[in-house]
Amino acid sequence: MTRKLVQALPPLAAFTVLLLLWEAGVRYGFLKPYQFPPVSRIARGFVELSTTGFPTGVSIWSHALTTILRVLQGYGAALALAIPLGLVIGALPVVDKLTAPLIVFCRSVATLSLLPLVIVWFGAGELTKVFLIGYGCFWVMLSNVIAGVRYVDPTLVRAARTFGLKGLELYRSVVLPAALPRIFAGARMALGVGFMVIVGAEMIGTIQGLGALIMEARTFYRSEITIIGMLVIGLIGFAISAGLMALERAMLPWAGDLDRVRR
Amino acid sequence: MKPLSRLSAASDLTLGLIGAFLAVAAWEISARTGLVDPAIFPSPSLAIRAAAERLTAETVADNLFWSLLRVFSGFLLGALAGAAVGIAAGWYRGFGALARPLIELLRPIPPLAWIPLAIIWFGLGEPSKFFIIFLGAFFPVVTAAYQGMRSIDPMLLKAAQTFGLSGVPLLLRVAVPAAAPDLATGVRIGWGLSFGVLVAAELIAADRGLGYMIINERNTGGSVGVIVVGILLIGALNLITDAAIGAAIKRWIGRWHGA
Repeated sequence: MTRKLVQALPPLAAFTVLLLLWEAGVRYGFLKPYQFPPVSRIARGFVELSTTGFPTGVSIWSHALTTILRVLQGYGAALALAIPLGLVIGALPVVDKLTAPLIVFCRSVATLSLLPLVIVWFGAGELTKVFLIGYGCFWVMLSNVIAGVRYVDPTLVRAARTFGLKGLELYRSVVLPAALPRIFAGARMALGVGFMVIVGAEMIGTIQGLGALIMEARTFYRSEITIIGMLVIGLIGFAISAGLMALERAMLPWAGDLDRVRR
Repeated sequence: MKPLSRLSAASDLTLGLIGAFLAVAAWEISARTGLVDPAIFPSPSLAIRAAAERLTAETVADNLFWSLLRVFSGFLLGALAGAAVGIAAGWYRGFGALARPLIELLRPIPPLAWIPLAIIWFGLGEPSKFFIIFLGAFFPVVTAAYQGMRSIDPMLLKAAQTFGLSGVPLLLRVAVPAAAPDLATGVRIGWGLSFGVLVAAELIAADRGLGYMIINERNTGGSVGVIVVGILLIGALNLITDAAIGAAIKRWIGRWHGA
């Protein structure tokens, strides 16, 4: 514990020095406060954001909640569709081969490039954003579920066969657990994609959500609010990926050293 | 199932082509029969016809050129900087202790979230787009390069040292090639991210490029066909460039790792 603390000291010191230099640079006019809002101003902005909010009445927490809810809706829908579909396609080699190029292409379509089309379909409202997140998450999840099922170690399957397992029972008790680590990795990747898509999608046609907040703040020359918004986005992204990793470790103890094995 | 699994890769491709053909045919038929309103989701043939009417080859080529120029320049510099910083952070302990916390702090921020700040710093012109595409490549590559450096087998370095290698030659001739597979994975991810960021940046703030082409079509109330063709074009471009980069990486890595 103490060793860890000692190790953390130099970077912390360097970071503090950096922030102080930044503050001083603005005070003495080397840096423009609009382009590089100093820490003191960011702190004041944070207080304003969490009390009165920006635009007035919409606090940073409500922006964050809007964004998270949008991501969860699209992500949940994508998972609910992609997991069963992927489990079926992965189990049927012919279907897998028939659909492979299609899935690769759909995955290559840049999710946000669909925005103009989806606006024509659903208008610029909530559904458009949720659809885009769903699209981005769906293909990433689908290809990972299929790969998870397809690339189960054949020795494992053969061993199970010699024990007399076959058909659905083999699939359920051997293939599925072996595929789960990959499926989890896909779920983690998909959430990352969804989070990236939402920030872009919120920059067009809305004033609610973190993506909208940082863009709106820019047009009102409130760069400190932009920076706070970015930090909150980063924080949520970090918390989500750390949380999913912990969940994965708890739920899949047999997949512990997946990373080491792959290497 | 059994005889199928013995068939060659050529038949896999045939099956794939059949599948793709079926999908396109289903799309075409659903629009033709009025199952889907062609005004909001035109069939491939209608979309291509609309695009051919409204766009000249020159316009498309010009937008394509700008998109490619942006994404390649941003990606190339981002990947180079990411590799340099990641390798240095993995090799020089002091530099790593300083650079890593800063990188870890900024890494969870998606590149698109940098768009407003990029505009504040660099204005609405090309540099702000370049900057976020740069970031799209930088973070995956820097992370992968660092991880690659940290997971080098120490025996390899010790063996090289007994042959008299040390310092920079040891880094460049043994450590970097050993870290190359991880680095390559990062480069591949970085390309995908750079490309996605490019499209988003062109949608949000640009006056040329493929992303601008489709959002402009929608803002001026143009044809949905043009938008559909634009989306397919961007998708195809992503697919082709990704495959090209994958092949280039394979050749480059193959020099050290027999894959």
